[in-house]
Amino acid sequence: MMTTGMTAADLAHTARSSEDIRHELGVDPVSVRSIRDPAIYELEREKIFKKTWLKVATSWELPKVGDYKVKELAVANASVLIVRGKDGQIRAFHNVCTHRGNKVVPTTGFETFGRSRANVVTCRFHGWVFSTDGPLRSVPMKERFGKLDSACLGLREIHCDIWEGFVFINFDAEPAQSLTEYLGDFGKLFSGYPYEESTTAFRYSTVLNCNWKVAHYAFSEGYHVPTIHAGSLPGFQGIEHTDFKLMGPHASSTIYGAGMDTAPSTLAFASMLSTTERHRPRPDQLPPAINPERRADFQFELPNLFPNFIIHLASGCGYPGMSFFTHQFWPLDHGRTLWEGINYFRPAQTAAEQVAQQHVNALHRNAWLEDTATMEDTFSGIMSGTIDEMQLMDQEFLIRHAARTLDTFLAA
Amino acid sequence: MTNPILPAPFTDLAPLAAHWARPSENERSEIRWSASADDFKALYEAMMPRLDDILALLSQHPATDMPEEVRNLFLLACAFAEASPHHELYRGSSAVPYSFDARRFVRTDGDVAL
Ligand code: FES
Ligand SMILES: [Fe+2]
Repeated sequence: MMTTGMTAADLAHTARSSEDIRHELGVDPVSVRSIRDPAIYELEREKIFKKTWLKVATSWELPKVGDYKVKELAVANASVLIVRGKDGQIRAFHNVCTHRGNKVVPTTGFETFGRSRANVVTCRFHGWVFSTDGPLRSVPMKERFGKLDSACLGLREIHCDIWEGFVFINFDAEPAQSLTEYLGDFGKLFSGYPYEESTTAFRYSTVLNCNWKVAHYAFSEGYHVPTIHAGSLPGFQGIEHTDFKLMGPHASSTIYGAGMDTAPSTLAFASMLSTTERHRPRPDQLPPAINPERRADFQFELPNLFPNFIIHLASGCGYPGMSFFTHQFWPLDHGRTLWEGINYFRPAQTAAEQVAQQHVNALHRNAWLEDTATMEDTFSGIMSGTIDEMQLMDQEFLIRHAARTLDTFLAA
Repeated sequence: MTNPILPAPFTDLAPLAAHWARPSENERSEIRWSASADDFKALYEAMMPRLDDILALLSQHPATDMPEEVRNLFLLACAFAEASPHHELYRGSSAVPYSFDARRFVRTDGDVAL
């Protein structure tokens, strides 16, 4: 495991105070041009989404040989087949038949799950058969092709690697960095948590009429919590957003706080979960540099894994029983975004645990409804041309950092 | 809907179960979205005082594979788990105040029935 021997001190160089952040990232307002200008979006597709490592699946979504998932990624004009081969390895391929280009696995919506029975996938158009590890296995009426180099007609593979059970792909023919290099200190900071134990997932998505960065930025700060979440998290006062960390293109921070004014039903469900070994708060399971002092009021870690992924690691300390939750923001075009939010729990053993998880999930889903309420209005406001800049306070530093990272990639 | 059977001592909750208990989140959401403040209040006042007892009973059953009457109670408890914030936090509003349209939120995992 990557964490062997890792201590909080090993990542001390990533730590930043608010003063450090002001000094390093500046205090000036940040331009909204990269949100407003459709031409920037075209650059982002080429220089970011087709160059960086993108999370597309988790290994525990595809537990068995033959399990697959297809992801439609408009940002790269791609349909991506992620499949666990006969050898147990997860690979990614363009979901494109090498005969004439049909989709090999038909899809519905943005994500399609399935299992290949005999470790093959078959294109329905003319029946070409591919192994789940890529090669072209059989072609009907093969002898009627005057020329067919079937050894070179396997599924077109996409670079794919796994970190802590999260499956990433890179569309670049020759990625400049390996996944481990790309994740860098982020990979070290977040590694060591037993993510794969939290196989119960409540998954939501919606298509937002906004630029992907508007959605991303709205989930990248805690400044909005007392206002936007006054309904679902009343009295979530005195939150402390601190422990800022900069890690190359990635960044992170920590939310501490007394938590919400707990309503009676939440209290009942929470106390039920907190008395079970598998759902109780587990600050001890956090990686060493996250909440290094093991403060009891730790809520969750709030990072940005550039360009479009957030893992909120909570270890049961924030929302009762919740192991972690993730957000991802997929551009569909300049002004449309697919948002995906997933709440992860360890599996409920009893029916009572399941009910309690439904409650916690519902509370969090409701908070997400409050978050997403701002996004289309924010984008309209920016598109109106009324403001040219965003004013950013210390606890919006993830936005400042992401905007700067974006500029760096676009200038490369 | 005819009243579902419930385990003792919760048989009196059967009319509530008939209205609220459904196996999938989408179905329960449809019911919640059409509920009034009084509906939320009635559910809350019937369920909240007995929640610990209900959870104690449900703790004795695995999350999958329950006898039918326990499953009916379980589904009612799921509906309550999702509805209680509307009474406790949202003043009986069926929508989360100042929120995005909940109908545009898609449960992406196919809303597997419990
Ligand atoms: S396009 Fe796939 S078999 Fe013809
Ligand atoms: Fe929020």
